[in-house]
Amino acid sequence: MNHSGEVGGGPGSGFWILNLLLIAAAGYAVGVLRLSARGVHWPVTRSVCAAAGLCCMAIAVLPPPPATGFSGHVVGHLLMAMLAPMLLALSAPITLALRTTPAKVRRVLLSVLHSQLSRSAMTAPVVLVLNVSGAYVYYLTPLYDIAHRQPWVQGVAHLHMFLAGCLFSWFLIGRDPLTKRPPVRTRLIVLLLAAASHDFLAKTLYAQQLPAAAGTPDEIQMGAQIMYYGGTTIEILFAILVMTSWYQRSGRQLARERRQRLRTATQVG
Amino acid sequence: MMAVERSSRSAPSVGTGRSITAGVLMGVGVAAFIDETVFHQLLHWHHFYDKSTAEIGLVSDGFFHAGGWLAMVVGLFLFADLQRRRATVPRRVWAGGLIGWGGFQLYDGLIQHKVFGLHQIRYEVDLTVYDLAWNISGAVGLIAGVVLLAGRARPVSAR
Repeated sequence: MNHSGEVGGGPGSGFWILNLLLIAAAGYAVGVLRLSARGVHWPVTRSVCAAAGLCCMAIAVLPPPPATGFSGHVVGHLLMAMLAPMLLALSAPITLALRTTPAKVRRVLLSVLHSQLSRSAMTAPVVLVLNVSGAYVYYLTPLYDIAHRQPWVQGVAHLHMFLAGCLFSWFLIGRDPLTKRPPVRTRLIVLLLAAASHDFLAKTLYAQQLPAAAGTPDEIQMGAQIMYYGGTTIEILFAILVMTSWYQRSGRQLARERRQRLRTATQVG
Repeated sequence: MMAVERSSRSAPSVGTGRSITAGVLMGVGVAAFIDETVFHQLLHWHHFYDKSTAEIGLVSDGFFHAGGWLAMVVGLFLFADLQRRRATVPRRVWAGGLIGWGGFQLYDGLIQHKVFGLHQIRYEVDLTVYDLAWNISGAVGLIAGVVLLAGRARPVSAR
């Protein structure tokens, strides 16, 4: 098994992705600086999330130490397809771009965001199918083996998993004003279905010793358990984030109602 | 200010239903949590997977593992919201909690362990005692919850 082509493709592909990540980080920093020059406050937590998300991506695209085998691959998968997209969604990069780029760029960005394609991508069935199918096809078909021989296949597969993870994250917890926000109930159902599919996939890998090309049965069982418990941990974070935003929003609603009642009470009294 | 307090307490928007829902979710969450930490991780009685498991068992396990922690998170947030609104009905929360815990325990013990054969409570021992203890405790919880639910309960706001 050739570990140098573990992620991305061929020697040096990790290098290019690292450069892209650095450019993204620089772009984000420039945006925050422009805002602060205008005296606009940009929450520090968002910048921290952006930095952490990009770091996760950097770790994921670097080839894992050869000794870690399938476990190293699974950790990379969890970082790239779940944790990095979650952190990036929290960093609200689209909002930042809309507020700091020139009008021309902004117009293009908005027309993309408001296009029929991105509207229909942000629906529960599409989010679920894209997110779940990628991992199933990758791990349960010979694709895993092919991807480890053909760097470009690996690159496409990882790009798909990352983008599907981003769609999933933005759907659940995105801070950007994309389209109409899905109701909390829909978001929780999507999370439940995705998490159950993830558990099922991990246990299937464990039970059937798949992907066959991933190494010895022990290595596969270790990797499958990391996938199971690691995935659960990140999904619990997702659930907490969804419910936190619900709690805050209903808190504001409650405060409004109380103010209103106070007003009517003082008027009557 | 007193008038405001009173009117917000008697707000009809939050009934006892929410207390039951929060209780059931937390009960399911606690059962799943005990199952995972005590029996899987600490005692190592349960196995991650045993070779006799069928496909349907894995699907069921996936939903119950994911549903367990999701129920815990959502239940806790619903409970926090009830507390914030001063609308908790403790008796209903307990009723829901016992029903959720007992129901999960029974489902796990009867359907997942026996029908789907996902894994057993413990290995290399006579299972009868363990199965009885597991399922009777679940049934007792479920019945206690239903009894509590049938009893009268006044919302906190009415006191």
